[in-house]
Amino acid sequence: MERIKIPYRKDDGSVEHIYREKTDKRILRKNPWKDYRLHLTVFALVVLAEIIGPFEIRITDSISFSIMPLIYAMVLGLVFYLLKPIKWIKRRQARIAEGAMMLFIGVLIAKLAISSGQSIHLIFEMGPALILQELGHLATILVALPVALILGFKEEAIGMTNSIGREPNVAVVVDKYGFNSPESRGVFAVFIIGTVIGTIFISFLVSFSLSFLPLHPFAFAMASGVGSASMNAAAIGPTLAAFPGMETQIEAFAGFSNLLSFCVGIYIVIFVALPLTQKTYELLEPKIGKDHVKIEGDDEDA
Amino acid sequence: MRMPDLIDGSENVSVHGIFNWILLLSIFSIITVVGNYLGYKHPIADSLIGMGILSLITLVGVWMERYLPLNISSILYISIIGIIIAFPGVPTSDFVLYYVSKVELLSIVTVFLAYVGIGMGKSWNEFKALGWRAVIVTILVIASTYLGSAVVAHIILVLTGVPA
Repeated sequence: MERIKIPYRKDDGSVEHIYREKTDKRILRKNPWKDYRLHLTVFALVVLAEIIGPFEIRITDSISFSIMPLIYAMVLGLVFYLLKPIKWIKRRQARIAEGAMMLFIGVLIAKLAISSGQSIHLIFEMGPALILQELGHLATILVALPVALILGFKEEAIGMTNSIGREPNVAVVVDKYGFNSPESRGVFAVFIIGTVIGTIFISFLVSFSLSFLPLHPFAFAMASGVGSASMNAAAIGPTLAAFPGMETQIEAFAGFSNLLSFCVGIYIVIFVALPLTQKTYELLEPKIGKDHVKIEGDDEDA
Repeated sequence: MRMPDLIDGSENVSVHGIFNWILLLSIFSIITVVGNYLGYKHPIADSLIGMGILSLITLVGVWMERYLPLNISSILYISIIGIIIAFPGVPTSDFVLYYVSKVELLSIVTVFLAYVGIGMGKSWNEFKALGWRAVIVTILVIASTYLGSAVVAHIILVLTGVPA
């Protein structure tokens, strides 16, 4: 069993260049383009996904729910990795894919930025909503922390529920509590689970929310910047499909809120979310805390 | 598990490294353009130029992050370049908007997520070792992060009188 790795953190405490470290290790020192079987596989998955096209499930006449080609592409990618007979997609290819992904995020960000530039007046008009929705992320403390305590987590819960638990958040928690602390074990658990199911989960969550919640289209767009590039990508998909004709605005808001989550979100975690989680924990734990359960992954290391 | 094969080579970004970036972005562009044609029937030549523009911005952004002495992430550089060249009234704006609009965001996302899916496989064993309780908590974390900001944004939009 491989030890859960600590995401990159520079000695000066800066957490902003986690992507650079991974990309450089995996891309600049190897010849990742040489792994033609990886790229051909992705090509085949994409062609297959686009040919199948979106799949619509009608719930009632007015409510429907669609599964986008991006979901097939991603799930098939994971299935290809896991299937034993497919020998050409293994750990090495997964590492290359992960490194390449860090570069490809740039293309996605560039596309969103161009929509933002085009609608820059709209961004300024909606400034208050864009900035304040970042604080909506704190809802996780109110919702997930009590449940974590009821399920029997102790200090782990602080690491698990202070934020969405992607690379920058992991770095912040590890920085504050130390690598071997229960808080860090908690954030690692959420990081791993988020990596595997987060993107798929959020795309279903967004589809359901679009069908059942009567919120403003711009609110859905702004909310998709949750602080993870792949979850952001998966959340925009159904939102774009649900509001035809508003593509540019939705991309503009989604892109800008993603940018805000990236630049400002980390400071909200350091100065607001983490202290607030700590306080809420101290308040709630004596009242609703249960017998301690361990995160099962712990003992597997050895 | 050590990965000695990943720590060979020079510490610095070499010409060879930039060549790697360019080739990877070209592969990504070609796959995206084909997907974009199959899914949305956009002309291949136009969307290839669109992907070329996006790849160039990415390349400049990642290059700036590593070469400029400022401590700024490539995501920020890429965003700033993208916003400026598409800004209404800037000379590049019409050209960029025309070609980039031929590449659907969803086409890019589909290819991106295919790579993500393969990369995800690597965490599968670690994932299986974690218990169902942690899965429940993670799902709640993601759901409340998303819905929390959607509801806050909705309230502010309604309060400031933005028509739907």
